[in-house]
Amino acid sequence: MKKMIPLTLIFIAGLLGVISFVIPHPSYQVYDEWIRNDLLRVLSAFAVVLALGSLLRVHFDKIKRKRRNWQFSWLLLFAFAASAAIGLFGGVAADGILPTAIGSFRFDIQTLYENIVIPLASSMFALLAFFMASAAYRAFRVRSMEATLLLTAAFIVMIGLLPLGYSISKHLPEFVQWILNVPNVAGQRGIVFGIALGVIATSLKIILGIERAWLGGGE
Amino acid sequence: MILVLLCSLAGLAPPTDVRVYDAPSDGGGVVVVEWNLSPDDAVIDGYDIYRSENGVDFARVGFIGKSRSSYSDQTEDGVVFQYKVAAVADTLRSFSQPSVEVASKASWINIDKINIYIAMIIFGGLILYFISHARKGKNLYIRKIAGLQAIDDAIGRATEMGKPILYTLGLGYIEDIATIASLNILGEVAKKAAQYDTKLIVPNADPIVYTVAREIVKESYTKAGRPDAYDPDSVFFLAREQMAYAAGIDGIMTREKPATNFLIGYFAAESLVLAETGAATGAIQIAGTDALAQLPFFVTACDYTLIGEELYAASAYISKRPLLLGAIKGEDWAKVVIVAALILASIVGLLSRFPILNLFE
Amino acid sequence: MTIDRRIIYAILLAVVTLPLVFPSVLEVTPMTPVEKLFTAVDKTTDDKALILDCSYSPQIKAEVEPMAIAVLRHAFQTRKKILVLSLYVEMIGLATRAINQVVEEFNISAQTYEDSIIYGRDYVFLGWQPPPIVPMLGMGESIANIYVVDYYGNQTDTLHMMEKIRNYNDISILVALSGSRIPISWVAYAQNRYGLQVGVGCTAVSGADFYPYYQTGQFTGLMVGMKGAAEYEELVETNYGVKGRRVASEAMLSLTYAHLAIMLFIVIGNIGFFLHRRKK
Repeated sequence: MKKMIPLTLIFIAGLLGVISFVIPHPSYQVYDEWIRNDLLRVLSAFAVVLALGSLLRVHFDKIKRKRRNWQFSWLLLFAFAASAAIGLFGGVAADGILPTAIGSFRFDIQTLYENIVIPLASSMFALLAFFMASAAYRAFRVRSMEATLLLTAAFIVMIGLLPLGYSISKHLPEFVQWILNVPNVAGQRGIVFGIALGVIATSLKIILGIERAWLGGGE
Repeated sequence: MILVLLCSLAGLAPPTDVRVYDAPSDGGGVVVVEWNLSPDDAVIDGYDIYRSENGVDFARVGFIGKSRSSYSDQTEDGVVFQYKVAAVADTLRSFSQPSVEVASKASWINIDKINIYIAMIIFGGLILYFISHARKGKNLYIRKIAGLQAIDDAIGRATEMGKPILYTLGLGYIEDIATIASLNILGEVAKKAAQYDTKLIVPNADPIVYTVAREIVKESYTKAGRPDAYDPDSVFFLAREQMAYAAGIDGIMTREKPATNFLIGYFAAESLVLAETGAATGAIQIAGTDALAQLPFFVTACDYTLIGEELYAASAYISKRPLLLGAIKGEDWAKVVIVAALILASIVGLLSRFPILNLFE
Repeated sequence: MTIDRRIIYAILLAVVTLPLVFPSVLEVTPMTPVEKLFTAVDKTTDDKALILDCSYSPQIKAEVEPMAIAVLRHAFQTRKKILVLSLYVEMIGLATRAINQVVEEFNISAQTYEDSIIYGRDYVFLGWQPPPIVPMLGMGESIANIYVVDYYGNQTDTLHMMEKIRNYNDISILVALSGSRIPISWVAYAQNRYGLQVGVGCTAVSGADFYPYYQTGQFTGLMVGMKGAAEYEELVETNYGVKGRRVASEAMLSLTYAHLAIMLFIVIGNIGFFLHRRKK
């Protein structure tokens, strides 16, 4: 019985989704939109509350038990409270409930975003260059004929996409474009077909209740 | 400008043969207006579309650029309209003859997607056939998938070393199939971790995925007979923002030094940041994703990679349940159908290029 | 032969940063996709405008912002009217940055009112209008109806430039700068329905997805990655002598050395691998 309710709900939800794809009539679509726009948003909002509760509980517990690096949990809690306060009082772009500007500096989410999130996100993205270098050094080995071909193609593409490539040969960049447009796309399409079929099969299994691991590993 | 002036002297030619019909296979409220281009199409600005309820008073309802001969008008269902199209050049207008009457209505079935329905029936039918085939107790062979075979060894390694297992579900939402497939594997990993009393760490990027993952891990510990060993803080929400999530997991990898990392789900650019950090800590890494652009990074940096549908096959592979194996078999036969169609289409395409064989033109 | 990864990181840090510490512009040869985009923008006549869609996120700012700056310089130098917009709110800040930088560059050296870049006369910043499909389709009918007020709160139809710029019919080309599949949506909605020309500036990673559309002519031109931005900067400076800082071109040397360094690491790694195998 415990599993029958979610399985029945899944079946009905899946069926409604398929019907929505087939029937464009607004008398049916209005229910589909209600589920997507209203119901799912309410569910997501509650899930956010649960998730934030989990985050706070983990860190409060760390501080209470003075686990390793517990001091950083204070930092997280301070950042959490500060962001919430700035958002509540300063608003998104100086449209909060209190005036929170000192001269030309505004305490709002836009300021936080521009001065903290943007530089941090860009820095993390920049780390990819270093990781790519160490991964390439560690893993690109010519163990077989296929690996040799792959490495040769990689070298050609890397040089061809640089200004250096054009200096070596005018035709190199064109050859690189061919590699990207023909063999590369062919390989990708094969994987995409497999993925698409996998999605169909998995969705069908979930709707029909054959796939139940997501419920908690039940038979 | 001179051309327009000449046209105004000569008389701007109107568009002709205005045809109107209710837009098929839609939710109603749309009438499609088509016409033959004005002979002066090259010099005009475009076409104004006019509409009338009584056939006498026409009001302008839209504009479309030149060389376009079709317009979709938003209307009210059941109300009868007539249309006229005017060629527009600056302030000049040259009107077509009015169209016949038309009213829009909503369709109950979307006929435009008939090819998708046929494909759904073929592929869905194949999968269901093999599932029912499997119910009869047939032994179905599934090839070895190295990444899935290595799960037991990877968990054993963590147990022997006394280090935790890190399981990452990626950035995906609960509706992403990769996330669902990953949750299936998480259940199995959690059960084994419970049996071997190995610490499990499961950071999440999405609140809904977090709630589901928490329940799956709890259920797995209960099924393994170790409900007391379940730590509710082992599954937690980390961050929604992509790079914040990656930074958080990197921190966990560096501090906790897990012996085994599972990176299974939907990943974006942070995939290499995670995989390479994990490799630097000496962990054995099993990755799986359906994000094509990230596969090369995982293949390079991880010990085992589940590519695309290998990830979806995980639950069948691990549980060996006949019904799930039957679905995999159905997928394989569906691929055979696609390949056959591609070969046939390629042959027809090649043959149509030879002028002698005009049969297919 | 194992090299400590910290040495790899240090070498890469050196080859990437040293050329930036001593910046020099590496001459790049513009390739056909970028030339086509440049020409299409160049062909914008006095009675038309071009649209610049700045829909790039902070993560890809380094690659794509130089493209925005190069196109703005091109437009301002040749006095082509330009409308700027973003399809998502988080990208508005980046669009504002690019506009303010280029406007300041031109106005610092301007001697007269005519030389200056004046808001409303030379450019308009439309801002953001959700969801993305609304401006994509709606601007085909009327830009002022979709963006009733611009980003700064002015009534759009009262701006001088907007007297003659009503809809896509008055737009020569739209240049979409993005790291996602937004340019394909512009083709699907704006080009298919209204015949609008679409040019693209994108990251190197997403470039591979867009080449098929360039081949079919759906994209008039294509700037891919930092190199694409450098090529456009080269064309702007060579053709019109615009002397602004060429961030993408300065980075070409770093890019080249970083690629060569990675290739060298791969070769060293394989030499070590072969030596190790022979010893066994």
